[in-house]
Amino acid sequence: MVPDVYAPFQIKDGELIMDGDRMVLNAYDASAIEEALVLTEKYGGEVAVVCVGASKASETIRKALAMGASKGFHIQLNGDEKYDSKSYASILAAFFKDQQYDVLAFGKQSQDSDSGLTGGMVAQLLDLPYSTNAVGLDISESALIVKRQGDTGQEMIELPTPCLVTCSNDMNEPRIPNLKGIMASKRKPIEGISIADLDVDDSALNPSTKVTSYAPVPARTAGQMFEGEPEEIATKVAQLLDTQANAI
Amino acid sequence: MSTILTYVAIADGKVKRSSLEVLSHCKRLADSAGFSCEAVIIDENASTFTSDVSKYGASKIYTVSGSAFANHQNGSLIKALTTTIKQSSPKVVAFASTESTKDVLGALAANIGAGVVADVSSFELDGDNVKAQRPMMAAKIMGNVDVTGDKILVSVRSGSYDLNEHAVDSEIIELEAHVSESDLRSTLKEIISSTGDTIDLNEADAIVAAGRGVKDEEAKALITELASVLNAGIGASRALTESGVYDPSLQIGQTGKVVSPQLYIAVGISGAIQHVAGMSNSKVIVAINKDADAPIFEVADYGIVGDLYKILPPFIEEIKKIKN
Repeated sequence: MVPDVYAPFQIKDGELIMDGDRMVLNAYDASAIEEALVLTEKYGGEVAVVCVGASKASETIRKALAMGASKGFHIQLNGDEKYDSKSYASILAAFFKDQQYDVLAFGKQSQDSDSGLTGGMVAQLLDLPYSTNAVGLDISESALIVKRQGDTGQEMIELPTPCLVTCSNDMNEPRIPNLKGIMASKRKPIEGISIADLDVDDSALNPSTKVTSYAPVPARTAGQMFEGEPEEIATKVAQLLDTQANAI
Repeated sequence: MSTILTYVAIADGKVKRSSLEVLSHCKRLADSAGFSCEAVIIDENASTFTSDVSKYGASKIYTVSGSAFANHQNGSLIKALTTTIKQSSPKVVAFASTESTKDVLGALAANIGAGVVADVSSFELDGDNVKAQRPMMAAKIMGNVDVTGDKILVSVRSGSYDLNEHAVDSEIIELEAHVSESDLRSTLKEIISSTGDTIDLNEADAIVAAGRGVKDEEAKALITELASVLNAGIGASRALTESGVYDPSLQIGQTGKVVSPQLYIAVGISGAIQHVAGMSNSKVIVAINKDADAPIFEVADYGIVGDLYKILPPFIEEIKKIKN
């Protein structure tokens, strides 16, 4: 569950002011859920989802159940914790330690902070083979085959299970729950878990990063617009790029 | 004396410029704080790159060589990094924020119990801590972040810092990192290189980016020609990589690559926030679009309202003239 990056916001005295009700399912996680559903529909098995968040997170979990996941876990927070990737990774690792799974699928980053750290941290804490930025997933003889997007091309990587993968939203278009799925989701179980139930100590929960303030992105000076005869304006801009901007 | 260690990445037989940008900044930080500025190269032929790295002020350069590092694999890279960190005992380890870095950064931090901040646009030392600035919320705002830890890892967006040569005599230390089966865990089965000899967009000085307006072979050819006269990399919006017009490695945006070249020319790109999040820090932005209301014009330094088929040919001609 992440803040809706399309929602309006203000920065006042370094504080970020947003409508607390505009929360959405992280787009990258939605792709992870979608691909998990595609794989279980093809090869059998089930998809369970877990979300760490305040009470509103149950709505996000319900959406995943409406997409087709069979059960949900809600690790409950108050909502005022200043957790970071390290905190979330510690919580999730403690949770997964007692779970049975073949693949842990994460979104590769969250839409609000874009750090992309949590998945890798959890893989390390659980000592799982992992890959990141998956743009394709398949299963072959109980191994997970990951198509990973690298810097200049793609790689095909084979991961023995149990394993972890972080997913790109380039992988698929997450399905929009239909009415049948929404009705069915109301009957699917969501287990509530408190941090106290998990074996995670305070030093692990303690964030190593703290956002001390927010600031607007430095504004670019207003640009120049050119309209009119194509040949004229194209030539003009090319010249300005040379003489004015020193960019060619 | 405390140490700042910079990871210097190699690709296509060259030291990556984005790494040298980070090293240049780390050298400045080290000099101000009285820290040692060190670097590590991990590659099949790591030792062949030490003289390039000396030019940027690393007084100690660790090299980890071997066939295990011929291709990127997170297991072997993490093993080599932890081995180096044990030797160097740095306070800060800095990386350019590339896909390879993203593949290891979180796991490495958890492995050594380090504080970590990713994808920063700037960072400074602050006593025992690090202060960083990083874009958040689809790069609509900047967050000021304090990072704590006995060791702190930082990854830096490419183009955040300029190259700054500062040649020194470097001590070269060759390290052995034995990568075993249990380190690897995953198997790299195949590498699918992107089409042709595309420039890594994080390394490019100039980028020509194609959007939905680039609909056919004629338009693609114009993009290729413009990129060629500018010696620019070619990038694309998500619409075009999704439809297969361009390889996904060329995608620019919040999901794809975040770039900040000297010159960014957006052709037929409307300027959706996820795309802008990937290029808004470019030094000079030119936009060509038929629609005067396209949001891309809000970030462009030079906005050309017009049909790309009519604009690009004279634009290319004039640039050719200027370059000769």
